Amino acid sequence: MAAAYLTHQQKVLRLYKKSLRHLESWCIFRDKYRFYACLLRARFDENKHEKDLVKATLMLKAGEEEFWTNQHPQPYLFPDSPGGTSYERYECYKVPEWCLDHWHPSEKAMYPDYFAKREQWKKLRAQSWDREVQQLQAETPAEGPKSEALPPARREGDLPPLWWQFVTRPRERPM
Amino acid sequence: MAARIIARCVRSLNQRSVYFNRVNTAATLTAAPLTHGRTFSHLTNGHKSSLAQISGGSFQVFQRRQYGDLPPLSLETIRDRVLYVLKLYDKINPERLQATSHFMKDLGLDSLDQVEIIMAMEDEFGFEIPDAEAEKLMTPHEIVQYIADKKDVYE
Repeated sequence: MAAAYLTHQQKVLRLYKKSLRHLESWCIFRDKYRFYACLLRARFDENKHEKDLVKATLMLKAGEEEFWTNQHPQPYLFPDSPGGTSYERYECYKVPEWCLDHWHPSEKAMYPDYFAKREQWKKLRAQSWDREVQQLQAETPAEGPKSEALPPARREGDLPPLWWQFVTRPRERPM
Repeated sequence: MAARIIARCVRSLNQRSVYFNRVNTAATLTAAPLTHGRTFSHLTNGHKSSLAQISGGSFQVFQRRQYGDLPPLSLETIRDRVLYVLKLYDKINPERLQATSHFMKDLGLDSLDQVEIIMAMEDEFGFEIPDAEAEKLMTPHEIVQYIADKKDVYE
């Protein structure tokens, strides 16, 4: 999402998705859910060709209110989603990669080729850092960045800015 | 007491060299009240403990702790599952479906259909795809890449 505001289409799609999820929480049997999901889809479909935005916004508002009155008190949440059972459960085990530099040399000697390769990567980072900062300074507008999205690498043979953080991010399920 | 129960289980497993076992488990039983913690830790040391040969026989008991987790994913399995789910969708023609076919341009689907497809992918793989990123996934290949990125497959 580039801008700070959602477009009408995005709002409608989000309402559709969350109403389907809450419907799934209400209708636990799959065939019953499928039936009511088709009915809901038909309701969205018959109004989707509305050209008047005022009317469409009023319909969206009515839809949101209907969703609010009919929502499930304990909707099904996936374990990894916010509010789920294993949300951020492994966050405490995600160690940042700079801790590898603080290992004792005897521990580092247990994985010699890994640390040799790591030295090469660190050299690469040092080389590309100035160009990354230059690119970011050139591309950020004067008031500040508009969104969190980082721009891609513009020149041939250049690495995208702040690639190191992305490449060395911890795993989703730390071992 | 737990050491006694475990010793009994081991005894029932090792049917061949019963005599040797009884001698050894009797030894551990007498040792149990004195060094209770030590025999217990000897029997179940760490996550994956392998009971070494109790007797002089060739029988080995492996105790492994079973953690609950899904089978590991690979790019091929993710791609197969994504394409399988898409073929089950009745608005998609399975012959025209390819990994790079765009939902809106090639397959003629709607944005509401795309939301339903993403929800089916969420149900298939068991984790939520947030709306901001879900609205950008327009081809099966992008979906596979996103799932592989989130699940650390062939990182």
